Amino acid sequence: MWRNTGIGFLLLVLLVMVTGCQATQSEFTRTAGDAGAAFAAASTTITYVHQGKITKAYASSAFVNYQSELDGLDQSLPSQQGAPDKPAIKHLLDLYKQAIKAVDNPCLDASCDWRRQVEALNRASETFVKAGGS
Amino acid sequence: MKKWLSIILGIMTATGGFLDVGAFATAGVAGAKFGLGLIWAMLLGTVAIILLLEMAGRFAAVSGKTYMDAIREDFGFKFYLLPLTSELIANSLMLAAEIGGIAIALSLFTGISWHSVFPVAALLVWVLCWRAPFSLIENVPALLGLVTLSFVVAVFVLGGPQPEVLSTLWKPNIKQGELANYLYLSAAILGAIISPYLLYFYSSGAREEKWSEDDLVANRVTSIVGMGFGSLSAIALIFLAAIVLQPLNISASTLGEVGITMAKPFGVIGSLLFAGGLFACCLGAALEVALSVGYNIAQGLGWEWGEDKKPVEAARFNLAMTIFLLVAVAIGLIGIDPLQLALFGSTITALFLPISLVPLLVLMNDRQYLGDKTNRRFTNSAILLVLVIAFVVAAVSLPLEFLSGGG
Amino acid sequence: MPESDQQKEDLSIGDIIDNQLETHDKRKIGRVADIVAEWREDGSLVLTDIVSGPQALARRVSSHLRPIFAFFLRDRFEHRIPIDDIDDFEPTLHLRKNAADYEVGQSDRWIADHILRWIPGSGH
Repeated sequence: MWRNTGIGFLLLVLLVMVTGCQATQSEFTRTAGDAGAAFAAASTTITYVHQGKITKAYASSAFVNYQSELDGLDQSLPSQQGAPDKPAIKHLLDLYKQAIKAVDNPCLDASCDWRRQVEALNRASETFVKAGGS
Repeated sequence: MKKWLSIILGIMTATGGFLDVGAFATAGVAGAKFGLGLIWAMLLGTVAIILLLEMAGRFAAVSGKTYMDAIREDFGFKFYLLPLTSELIANSLMLAAEIGGIAIALSLFTGISWHSVFPVAALLVWVLCWRAPFSLIENVPALLGLVTLSFVVAVFVLGGPQPEVLSTLWKPNIKQGELANYLYLSAAILGAIISPYLLYFYSSGAREEKWSEDDLVANRVTSIVGMGFGSLSAIALIFLAAIVLQPLNISASTLGEVGITMAKPFGVIGSLLFAGGLFACCLGAALEVALSVGYNIAQGLGWEWGEDKKPVEAARFNLAMTIFLLVAVAIGLIGIDPLQLALFGSTITALFLPISLVPLLVLMNDRQYLGDKTNRRFTNSAILLVLVIAFVVAAVSLPLEFLSGGG
Repeated sequence: MPESDQQKEDLSIGDIIDNQLETHDKRKIGRVADIVAEWREDGSLVLTDIVSGPQALARRVSSHLRPIFAFFLRDRFEHRIPIDDIDDFEPTLHLRKNAADYEVGQSDRWIADHILRWIPGSGH
């Protein structure tokens, strides 16, 4: 019984290894997808605070987490496994540079141009999500 | 009359205490990424926890012993080290995540970074473990957690899921390369719902309150109705994430994003209801995790234990709990986002479920402890099936997640 | 002796090992980690003491661990309780004396007096 259990377990491990490549994404695909989602969340958060759906405190708290998720991505993204060619990476990083300004200094009151920030975040989100395979 | 009031209180606390940071995290991410495609895991986990909770309560009431007492006495010291070790590993991650959840909730209210609030949250948990009576710990956070029933209302206010989202209920939308993530989340959901710490806490609580065979009906009603209603909030959260976040390409990778789902139907009130529910549920769960570890160590080693005793009257029990809290705080201070930590901790829990729960199955069929109140065949089979599913899914998905840079 | 009385007298190692120790004043002080038996000249093997403490527990995990634990704990944490001190052998072993009369479980007192007393709300 134990021998059969052991053989069964080894077959399962083999199956996992063989199908692993189809079951998982490349590092770049995952990172790009996650970044796109984070930019989308940031955009929605700024929009909601100006629509009066969340408080400024809530939005500030949320942005601390977006900053943790997105800071430093321009350093790591180009060298990740599965990264596309240089022109494509450059396009992503250009959009990243515009959007990360909004993430690091989100416009949460009427004193700044929050719509421009939302546009930059949406552009970055769409492109990164697409690069992430969605 | 008193008995019925006690049953109603039990149902309410089970309902309000169902969610913890693991459930918030897994429900949010599951809905955002896969629509309704992981509701099956939530339902499977709910059925399992109902059966297990009823078993743990029945065991304590009939045998007069807690689950951990019986593991040590029936299986011996060497075996006892296995569930103890698995619980210490899984619960240290989960306690750090729960305290992180409390910190996130406080942060959503105040705007202060959760990293700064984390030590305050840890201190709050410790103070309550140190001095609060058992009835307060068992009841107050869970009653406050009833606010999560507003998630169910929110689904109706939003008009329910769109047709394309509804179809993911029977046909999950798993994109190329996302199978590992899907399996990882299903394991995490099972680990979040079927939490062994809950069973250790529940069986110890039954002994703190000196349950007997007269309490078996109350135990059954609390388990079925309480956990059943509680799961509605968790399922509602999956629906909300599917309806609100998925169309926006938001993946709910932080708890604040999950709260946005309540802001859409209810505005500011909704986001605050979310933060309030997160606070209450994570606080209740943190207390249960910390106490369950204290119970496990004290009961297994034969020390004095009890939340209704002064700390000096159960010195080793309270010291062990305090040291464990410090370990969890150290893990939390590393700075990993509580939602990610909760997902990982829940998956590890799923992996260790057979170690934690197979002894309970054995004990529940032992007439020396339970007389004629042993398990029926259906219960044994159902639990075994869930344990196998949880373990296989966790064992397969964890290495894949790590290989692909996730987890 | 009638068979039923004979059965009441029979105990197995499982009725003793790992069971809870509770003193006369209802304090839980530990669990039985091991037993000590004497092989007498008349050929009988007689249970003389029960043993509690981390050193005895270490031996249950592996015999190699016992000397290591004995070294680090300066051989001060293996406590024997004579069999005569046991009032009855229920699932919980009830002892004749109070908690303060046994070395087992004194670490509870020590921790209360030397560590917990400094923490507010400890009840010291």
